[in-house]
Amino acid sequence: MNYPDENTYGNKADIISTVEFNHTGELLATGDKGGRVVIFQREQESKNQIHRRGEYNVYSTFQSHEPEFDYLKSLEIEEKINKIRWLPQQNAAYFLLSTNDKTVKLWKVSERDKRPEGYNLKDEEGRLRDPATITTLRVPVLRPMDLMVEATPRRVFANAHTYHINSISVNSDYETYMSADDLRINLWNFEITNQSFNIVDIKPANMEELTEVITAAEFHPHHCNTFVYSSSKGTIRLCDMRASALCDRHTKFFEEPEDPSNRSFFSEIISSISDVKFSHSGRYIMTRDYLTVKVWDLNMENRPIETYQVHDYLRSKLCSLYENDCIFDKFECVWNGSDSVIMTGSYNNFFRMFDRNTKRDVTLEASRENSKPRAILKPRKVCVGGKRRKDEISVDSLDFSKKILHTAWHPSENIIAVAATNNLYIFQDKVN
Amino acid sequence: MVGGLKRKHSDLEEEEEERWEWSPAGLRSYQQALLRISLDKVQRSLGPRAPSLRRHVLIHNTLQQLQATLPLAPAPALPPEPLFLGEEDFSLSATIGSILRELETSMDESPQNPVAPLSLQNEVPPQPDPVFLEALSSRYLGDSGLDDFFLDIDTSVVEKEPAWAPPEPPHNLFCAPGSWEWNELDHIMEIILGS
Repeated sequence: MNYPDENTYGNKADIISTVEFNHTGELLATGDKGGRVVIFQREQESKNQIHRRGEYNVYSTFQSHEPEFDYLKSLEIEEKINKIRWLPQQNAAYFLLSTNDKTVKLWKVSERDKRPEGYNLKDEEGRLRDPATITTLRVPVLRPMDLMVEATPRRVFANAHTYHINSISVNSDYETYMSADDLRINLWNFEITNQSFNIVDIKPANMEELTEVITAAEFHPHHCNTFVYSSSKGTIRLCDMRASALCDRHTKFFEEPEDPSNRSFFSEIISSISDVKFSHSGRYIMTRDYLTVKVWDLNMENRPIETYQVHDYLRSKLCSLYENDCIFDKFECVWNGSDSVIMTGSYNNFFRMFDRNTKRDVTLEASRENSKPRAILKPRKVCVGGKRRKDEISVDSLDFSKKILHTAWHPSENIIAVAATNNLYIFQDKVN
Repeated sequence: MVGGLKRKHSDLEEEEEERWEWSPAGLRSYQQALLRISLDKVQRSLGPRAPSLRRHVLIHNTLQQLQATLPLAPAPALPPEPLFLGEEDFSLSATIGSILRELETSMDESPQNPVAPLSLQNEVPPQPDPVFLEALSSRYLGDSGLDDFFLDIDTSVVEKEPAWAPPEPPHNLFCAPGSWEWNELDHIMEIILGS
């Protein structure tokens, strides 16, 4: 088993830390460890090339967060972008939320293709003109210019989180959103930056009694009063904001009883949920823990309706994975547009897809060698023991420094984005 | 991280392929290796950045499980010494300190067979770390306890000398006083115990 080697990353600031399509799939945003956001836009398909699917090209790049230093606590605040969430488009401009550990920002991304010329009081460079020289009055006109995409920070939501923000989620009312850290969840109104409402607080009076933290949270896609949050103990709580202002009492509590035959010192760590996502339909939630992906029906709290093994061959390696910290890796999971296929990442630049209907699954690899344009991805297989076939890779040869934590699926088409350390791969379904 | 004596991955991997039986000694050495790894992590998390609370809680809970499976003398009622990292109340690190104190007490007693705990399927215990055991025992044990303590643990595979050195601070074995490792472990214990 290869020890993760930090030197193979190259420039650490380029490590992609989040990937997200917008609601139409026209735009794809990535955030990285260096606090930057890069937005890709899909090319409009031209009539001349109907067989050539729209490709994604860089549309805008901007620095969202900078490193900060908290002087009061003598601690550095990382600029790494933890999450990006898009707002639905309401006018010509695009809006997204981006967050680091402490601060959420609302960014407006807009195009400018005209500029005003012919001011009366300023010259073309913007310098004030001597009023004595102005003899005529003219109306400034808009003249075309080269297309410029600019990103401006419209709101900064700061100083509301003592602990590290792990999730943000836009509400279906499009007026509010929530941000969740290890112990608290806050509700914000987009227009108000100096105030947020605390809706979940699991901090114990005595921190020594702390045994559980919040790991992820998300609003229901249609019911603006409903949200879920997951914990480090493998539980999910569904809360209804109509029940009370502080949602400390959950409406539903999802937990699977432990399998006694699988019990080990690491049972709790591997049960810690790293991501929770509502299905597009709103009827199911999907959770990712270290070894599995689970689908839960909102109407059944005592166990998931489906469990998929992502890389069960790691179960006998947990001690080593604990030692090299890989056991703490937080993998995300995503639904496809029709909620029929789910996808999540693994090690060695592998990612997995599970078809919920056919129960078939596939392992694919995101790497330069396999990803020449229009190359077809070949399924991969990990050999868990016995004789290794030619194309298989043995568990001990897996590269644990190559982890796919972040993936995204286009809202309606079979286009996926896979972040492999500091490389972004975009795969599309082959055209028939 | 304890210098060049940290176990290499390839060694660990080889052992995991062998078959081990869960003898009390084997289990205990596994538990101690886990303890060493966990302490390592706690110490490493004290950096310029606020440590991940999730990681801290998960390691702490794992340590508590370890504590539950190791034979313990009745724990003395010691007030936890808070370890403050900045303004946040990271005093849950103090419970790690109290776990260590309990372990130190337990190592004073003659060891009993550990209660058969959880089944650890297919997992192979790494070898007991001689540096860790050596430093811990040298610092906390009296002369009489030393031989009894080591009777329980099969260190024949890692022993470099035919018999353990007499119970005085070791001069030439893995961890001489004043050595790099000795100071490092001292430093870790001081931070955690707040002394």
